[in-house]
Amino acid sequence: MEFKLILFYVLSAILVGSSLGVITSRNPVNAAMFLVLSFFTAGAVWMLAQAEFLAIVLILVYVGAVMVLFLFVVMMLDINFDRLRQGFWSYLPLGALIGILMILEMSIVLGGQYFQVLDTPLPPELANSSNTKDLGLLLYTQYTYPDQVAAAILLVAIIAAIILTYRGRKDTKRQVIADQVAVKAADRLRVVKMDAVKPQPAVTAAPESEAGDGAAK
Amino acid sequence: MLTLSHFLVLAAVLFGISVIGLFLNRKNLIILLMAIELMLLAVNTNFIAFSHFLQDLNGQVFVFFILAVAAAESAIGLAILVVLFRNLSTIHVDDLDRMKG
Amino acid sequence: MNPYVLDLITASPEVLVLAMGCLILILDLFVKDPSHTSTFVLTMLTLVGAAILTLFTSTGEVVYAFNGLYVDDLMGDLLKLVLYLTAIVTLFYARPYILQRPDLRRGEFYVLMLFATLGMMVMISANHLLTIYLGIELLSLSVYALVAMNRDSVASTEAAMKYFVLGALASGLLLYGMSMIYGATGTLSIPEISDALVANASNPTILIFGLVFIVSGLAFKLGVVPFHMWVPDVYQGAPTAITMLIGGAPKLAAFAITMRLLVSGLLLLAPDWQGMLLILAVLSLAIGNLAAIPQTNIKRMLAYSTISHMGFVLLGIVVGVVGGDARFALNAYSSSMFYVVSYVMMSVAAFGVIILLSRAGFEADRIDDFKGLNKRSPWFAAVMMMIMFSMAGVPFFIGFFAKFSILQAVVASGQIGLAIYAVLMSLIGAFYYLRIVKVMYFDEPIDESPIVAPMDMRVLLSINGLAIALFGLFPQTIMSLCAFSLLRSL
Repeated sequence: MEFKLILFYVLSAILVGSSLGVITSRNPVNAAMFLVLSFFTAGAVWMLAQAEFLAIVLILVYVGAVMVLFLFVVMMLDINFDRLRQGFWSYLPLGALIGILMILEMSIVLGGQYFQVLDTPLPPELANSSNTKDLGLLLYTQYTYPDQVAAAILLVAIIAAIILTYRGRKDTKRQVIADQVAVKAADRLRVVKMDAVKPQPAVTAAPESEAGDGAAK
Repeated sequence: MLTLSHFLVLAAVLFGISVIGLFLNRKNLIILLMAIELMLLAVNTNFIAFSHFLQDLNGQVFVFFILAVAAAESAIGLAILVVLFRNLSTIHVDDLDRMKG
Repeated sequence: MNPYVLDLITASPEVLVLAMGCLILILDLFVKDPSHTSTFVLTMLTLVGAAILTLFTSTGEVVYAFNGLYVDDLMGDLLKLVLYLTAIVTLFYARPYILQRPDLRRGEFYVLMLFATLGMMVMISANHLLTIYLGIELLSLSVYALVAMNRDSVASTEAAMKYFVLGALASGLLLYGMSMIYGATGTLSIPEISDALVANASNPTILIFGLVFIVSGLAFKLGVVPFHMWVPDVYQGAPTAITMLIGGAPKLAAFAITMRLLVSGLLLLAPDWQGMLLILAVLSLAIGNLAAIPQTNIKRMLAYSTISHMGFVLLGIVVGVVGGDARFALNAYSSSMFYVVSYVMMSVAAFGVIILLSRAGFEADRIDDFKGLNKRSPWFAAVMMMIMFSMAGVPFFIGFFAKFSILQAVVASGQIGLAIYAVLMSLIGAFYYLRIVKVMYFDEPIDESPIVAPMDMRVLLSINGLAIALFGLFPQTIMSLCAFSLLRSL
């Protein structure tokens, strides 16, 4: 067996094992960690198929962003792990049976004669050029239209995430600049006309000091 | 020698595992979302394998778009999950039985 | 002229909707008015503008743009025009409903509606597997958010979650199928796939393997049995204004991608996919009509009714080509298209009546809420009766001719048994539509409060109801438009 094939088998074993880990984990945090491992190994498998740019993007975007988002949500929600597992064992026999049958059938078709294509080395014009550059050229020339649509999809995701989860804080105090500028002196300050001199109360029996206070008022 | 079938069977196994995962974790929405990510990983592996063996880059461009869309999709999925969790204070599909019939 | 500029002119309706979507999103930040009237008006103007651009750029020929990723043909133009009209009517009906509900009464509602419309336009004009996928996702992501927008309602968020999980699963299946088609033919462009099949350069086993996944994914999106689990829950749980959106326009886009994928792309595999669609159609007709009978919630009942209507649409696609004989194909496909258009017209009107009866804090989504409608408002009871008669296929409403033309196509293909089965199932279906009519006219009202909907909605709903009756008298106008547009496109 050649080295590439051995490498493929080792990576596949890790990939399949960690994917099984994702779906059988008791704890969602473990499942997320298994998923990270799956993405790393899948990235390596893609490298074997000479898709270097996508392999790196998979790790950057998925491990770096999407899985962090998953972990945030898992940590933020207070989860009762025992209840999550209810029904797991009762679904297991049927689910596993259907899944294994499906995998077997698909493998028979895909392992058939038609796909026994050998891994031929790339022609020199492809092998010597950068995968990233070639993808970029395609993406920004031939695929401009889907590029714009994908941009719209990302915009929708931003709008959706904000309208669904953002609730303005109740304790923030906002400035309304327009109101501040438009304010008039009359809104803030009320000038009350008062007599300059109050008539002395006609108290004669009061002590000297109290009478002095009364005058100061 | 490494053949196209190797990659395709690996992708098929991944696809099958994610379908089993959808079956088994019907009560655990977070793992459901992860199983969907696994399914897209299987599809992407398929496209990359075909792209490599057909020596045609269009398949890789498709994968690029699937990655972008799937990231947006999981952001919306998690947002819905958070909103639902606020309403239910729990995230089991078990409790999602207000509507039957 | 620069070819890129020509491409932009061809796709100008999409460009307009995208640009206005972004612009309205920003302008809405400066809107103080809590009812967002200016946002609403701008959204309407955008849709009218898109309709005008679609009319003006329509050449009657098949025009490809953006390196063959985009196609502009008469089928697409006609479906897009119906789409804009549906979106405008949907927004008009939705407006009083969202104004009474603080969580929905936001500018983003209109922006998401525009992006959902853009997604459907991309689907209708898709000529490449990638554009089909991106169109579906743009539509789905906007709709997931819209369903969950009523975020303090458990039912709505629950519906959004179910819709999301099953929608993502459907996309996964569709993509797996697409990857197989790509592997077997070596191309992603629909005309090239068709050429590769004609050149017989691909392995049939792999193609059929991919086809199974593609048909399953499409069936999920169309909501036909056995991939229909999400339909009733989402219809019931979503706010009625959003249910109206889900139950209307997306069916046009789903029809378009089914035609493009299966008929334009994989026509040589017709014997295989026709068999699969036949099973889906037969099951949908049975389950849709039978499960609708015991429902007490009218939105849920309409959900099952949608399933059975989609079964009818599939019947038309199934009988297109018989044993390599495509003589009746045009007739069959155009009757399917006619069915979709008339279904959308009826569905939007039916949800319009539900919104008409609802008010702040009251949804009017139980069948009991329709009791004695005749005593409260004889005119709208009559409108609802026309809608229900049309959906049931009572002659001479538009729904009757839709069913009739599909049955004609089925008989022309020689499958008499199938035609009889479809008639039997529609007879069972007529029962639950007529029950609504009975409840409206012969029961005493439970809810005596007056109807509060604004005048513009009443007028539009009346026009919509009358259109169902009027086009029932002159179905040939729409029918021949559908046939002509398909003739010039396929």
